[in-house]
Amino acid sequence: MIWKTFLFLLLCFVSIAGISFPIVENPVHWYQYPMIKGLEENAKIIFFHVPTAWLTVVAFFMSTVYSIQYLRKKNLDDDAKSYTAAQLGIIFCILATVTGAIWAKFAWGSYWSWDPRQTSIFALLLIYGAWFALRSSIESEEKRASLSSVYSIIAFLTVPFFIFIMPRIMLGLHPGAESIEDGKVVQSASPVVDFKMNGNMLLIFFLSLIAFTILYFWMWRVGYKSLIYRDKILKQSSRG
Amino acid sequence: MEGFYKFLSNNSIFIVTFIVLIVWAGVFFYLNSIDKRIRQIEKENKGERNEK
Repeated sequence: MIWKTFLFLLLCFVSIAGISFPIVENPVHWYQYPMIKGLEENAKIIFFHVPTAWLTVVAFFMSTVYSIQYLRKKNLDDDAKSYTAAQLGIIFCILATVTGAIWAKFAWGSYWSWDPRQTSIFALLLIYGAWFALRSSIESEEKRASLSSVYSIIAFLTVPFFIFIMPRIMLGLHPGAESIEDGKVVQSASPVVDFKMNGNMLLIFFLSLIAFTILYFWMWRVGYKSLIYRDKILKQSSRG
Repeated sequence: MEGFYKFLSNNSIFIVTFIVLIVWAGVFFYLNSIDKRIRQIEKENKGERNEK
């Protein structure tokens, strides 16, 4: 499989480039990153924190799409696809929270400060955590699939609000949030939103996004196929 | 050899990179092995269906 080798090498490159390339005041060589004021050495976590947050949204979105598909066609395979996507979504959501907390420790001074961004991702974790509790409490397959599909659709309605809207309209520390400068409330000039990265940094950032997205789709495919075949084999063995 | 150790202690970021690479290789080969097993089960399943 060529794409697997490609993915392996791409993520190896992103890991090496993302972690070990130096940050200097005035980059001369292609492997040097520029110093971004307010971030300094912490800037490197962009290559890993942003893709996890991006995949959280993608995974929850896919989970909703397959939930709608299930409600339309009542095919249990769609439920397995939706369930796997949500599982991966919550894994990436936890990873985004943890990497964000580590970043916060060095950029803001403490791991957790109930910043609007942190509060909203915590609420999101609770909402999707409850989804797994709901799933595990229902025995009947069809009933579980339809109830969790409906819950998934409703849960996704909160995602744009929690991830995109709330952290932007409230005062906060995270890039993109509003902040007070000279007594006025302004949209903070953030390095992430403004993309003050240089060309190489942007390239590695987008390579990282691509690599993590491919990895996500691979994990998702392996996940839902194993669920579908497990159910098939269990049904066969209970019949025969 | 001592120079190498000195280099690593001054540039410990390379040790971090190395550990991250090992973790990624572990995740990759684990995923690959599950993928292979699933493909095998898929083949067996198709074979059984054809026999019926």
